[in-house]
Amino acid sequence: MSYYFLRRRSLRITTTTFSSFLSKLVGNLSDSPSPTLFSCRHLSHALPFFSSTWLSRDAYSHGLLSPTQARFWASQPAAAEHSTSDGLTIQGILAKNWPILDENDSDWKSHASAIAQSIHLIKRRLQWKKLKVRLDMLSAQLNKEDLWDDPVRAGKINREHGSLLGKMKEVNGLERELLDDIEMIKLAREENDSELELESMKALLNMRVNAKEKELEALLADEQDSRSCYIEVQAGAGGTESMDWASMIMQMYKSWAQRRGYKVTVMEEMPGEIAGIKRATIKVDGEFAFGYAKAEIGVHRLVRISPFDSNKRRHTSFAAVAVIPNLGDESSSVQINESDLRIERFRASGAGGQHVNTTESAVKITHIPTGVTATCQNERSQHQNKASAMAVLQSRLNQIEMARQAQLNAQHTQSLTDITWGSQIRSYVLHPYRMVKDLRTNYEVSDPDSVLEGDLDGFIMSYLSASLDKNEDDA
Amino acid sequence: MKLTLTNHNFSTLLNSSFINLTRPFCSLSLSSSLSSSTSIKPQVPIFLRPPIYSTKLNDLKKWHNWAKNIAFSIGSSFVQSDNGPDSTILCRELKWFIEDVVENHHSLFSQVGDDNEKVKMRADIEELYCLWKQRIEERKPFQYIVGCEHWKDLVLSVQEGVLIPRPETELIVDLVSDVVSKNEGLKRGVWADLGTGSGALAIGIGRVLGDGGKVIGSDLSPVAVAVAGYNVQRYSLQDKIELREGSWLEPLKDMEGKLAGLVSNPPYIPSKEIPVLQAEVGKHEPRVALDGGIDGMDALLHLCDGADLMLKPGGFFAFETNGEKQCRELVDYMKSNKSASLCNLEIFADFAGIQRFVIGFHR
Repeated sequence: MSYYFLRRRSLRITTTTFSSFLSKLVGNLSDSPSPTLFSCRHLSHALPFFSSTWLSRDAYSHGLLSPTQARFWASQPAAAEHSTSDGLTIQGILAKNWPILDENDSDWKSHASAIAQSIHLIKRRLQWKKLKVRLDMLSAQLNKEDLWDDPVRAGKINREHGSLLGKMKEVNGLERELLDDIEMIKLAREENDSELELESMKALLNMRVNAKEKELEALLADEQDSRSCYIEVQAGAGGTESMDWASMIMQMYKSWAQRRGYKVTVMEEMPGEIAGIKRATIKVDGEFAFGYAKAEIGVHRLVRISPFDSNKRRHTSFAAVAVIPNLGDESSSVQINESDLRIERFRASGAGGQHVNTTESAVKITHIPTGVTATCQNERSQHQNKASAMAVLQSRLNQIEMARQAQLNAQHTQSLTDITWGSQIRSYVLHPYRMVKDLRTNYEVSDPDSVLEGDLDGFIMSYLSASLDKNEDDA
Repeated sequence: MKLTLTNHNFSTLLNSSFINLTRPFCSLSLSSSLSSSTSIKPQVPIFLRPPIYSTKLNDLKKWHNWAKNIAFSIGSSFVQSDNGPDSTILCRELKWFIEDVVENHHSLFSQVGDDNEKVKMRADIEELYCLWKQRIEERKPFQYIVGCEHWKDLVLSVQEGVLIPRPETELIVDLVSDVVSKNEGLKRGVWADLGTGSGALAIGIGRVLGDGGKVIGSDLSPVAVAVAGYNVQRYSLQDKIELREGSWLEPLKDMEGKLAGLVSNPPYIPSKEIPVLQAEVGKHEPRVALDGGIDGMDALLHLCDGADLMLKPGGFFAFETNGEKQCRELVDYMKSNKSASLCNLEIFADFAGIQRFVIGFHR
């Protein structure tokens, strides 16, 4: 394990013990002037009783203390913005506009600038101000005495509070860590300690990579984003050509999911008479599958010379894509009454029973009150097909319920169209020129093949950041 | 050897729980089943064999393409001749075949791999050619090719000589599950599955019974008893399921009036229909498990007597039939001949909407 991680780890442990210890002491501490220790005035204010021999630089480097951390203990609650001993804040770093160089350039200002940018983006994506307001509101509700009169609601509030608090703490942690590292580098320079400087630089670089990842994760901050999902593709009007297009789109998602390391399972597939598919559903298992895939909801348009047209004419066809989060067995999911279901053998023919040997045991489940159906045929037993179809049905009903609730909630009416099949979102032109263009973001690439082979992340990321920015503007 | 141990454990267990019975539970039939079934060694399904074979990815791809082309060439010709499988179904079977044979099948064809890369397999590539030929040319059922059938949430070993459990039959377990969930006495009682074949119903029911609940599975065929024993052991139900070799009620003489439940998927196809069955069924599955006599009712009528004789008061029974006609005839027979003992008769449809099961209780 690297020195850096050792330092970080032990830092956390010391924080809690020391802070409780200090909080008792802080009140009694005299503000006696003492020699400035390691360019950290705040710390020295708080800890005048530590002898300078004990609190040597080793105490920092071995993780016993961190300058800014120590300052926070002294000034609980930390309401003010974090800053280094010489007053540098995150906002300050941003304002300085230090050029961001390549990661391999060992320039702390460049790293710091990049990290500050990431933190800024993360805050924006989390809708920081709103988040704070919401958190305060939830805290207030949690403190109410009658909270647990409605345990379901209480659980919900508690969960959301925990999740928001976690996010806030994470960002605060990032900010603090950045300032700590900067402080450390400055300290190392003052003391001409090249070893410590190297270590601190490494820590900063590490943090830069980490913050970049967090920045992407912050794109996926919605409640359902981390879920697995189902992707459904349905061919538009236009016969074989659009059925072929639907299967191309489905292939694109399968490849995309595999590239991301998600597990793909075909739940149902209705093949076209000549080629392609009429409709198909796949299950994509993995973290944030829904968060990413939801960017694909809508109608996808293809323009090309149809290989199915003997006159070699140019055709335009459409395929619709729906993405449904898989909520799993949660209490929030819609209750289904067994008596509301009609379960049928999907392709039953003949006498059945002992007369027939078949490996086809797909079932179709109809939820009679809503008319919603689900089929699964990829499993090897009827029982498993039924279980999988039930899972699909459950997700579809949940989706409908979510849409209904969103409709009730006026501020969400905007997202309603996103939930249903939606409108045209992307155009894939193979002839007379070659281009894929997203109509929502104007993001485009000139290599349709790579896109159809699953290279979708550019489209997805640009859509996700654009829609967040849009929300921000609306707010 | 293993089977010996199994049965022994079971009988001691049962003996202790039925200590007040006048006759030691099943000691006679036990020894008779041991002698014949231990001599038959059941085949191991492909997916359970060790991955000791190694093939170049390229060679596997070649085989896959060959097999796929054959599957496609079939089109709907089997469907037209005897309602057999079409290309789509054969292609899916091919996919499952690879799942069973190849150790790391998940990443097999998706990645841009080196064609010379070695792939670990549970069967030799030559065997794969041979097996797929049998599937297509001889119409050997896919389940016999891979040696297993996925049934409910179980994977059951099957081989020639044993009926492949049908998806319809899964429903009997659901029916039993419903009944025992409402009746603790039945949940802890002794059940019987007559003509158990691969042991599907016995195992399915064994898993829904509670503590103390037992299942006796019987079959005339020593191969079936051996295969069922293998499956029982795979699901570690040796203490709950006992297998006995013999025809219908004969190995259950000690259980008269004691059974909590009786289930069966007996042969019910009328004899004259046997020659025109789908090739997979007619040419490969054991006739003794299919042929139900002139009108297909021979075994079913015998089972009615069984239900009358074997079930304890309140005991439950469920039988699979050929369809609506047999269901009605069976219910009529029970109403006119067994109304003193059997009651609450009901007909149940399968998921294809065909009236398939007759269920009821002993008064």
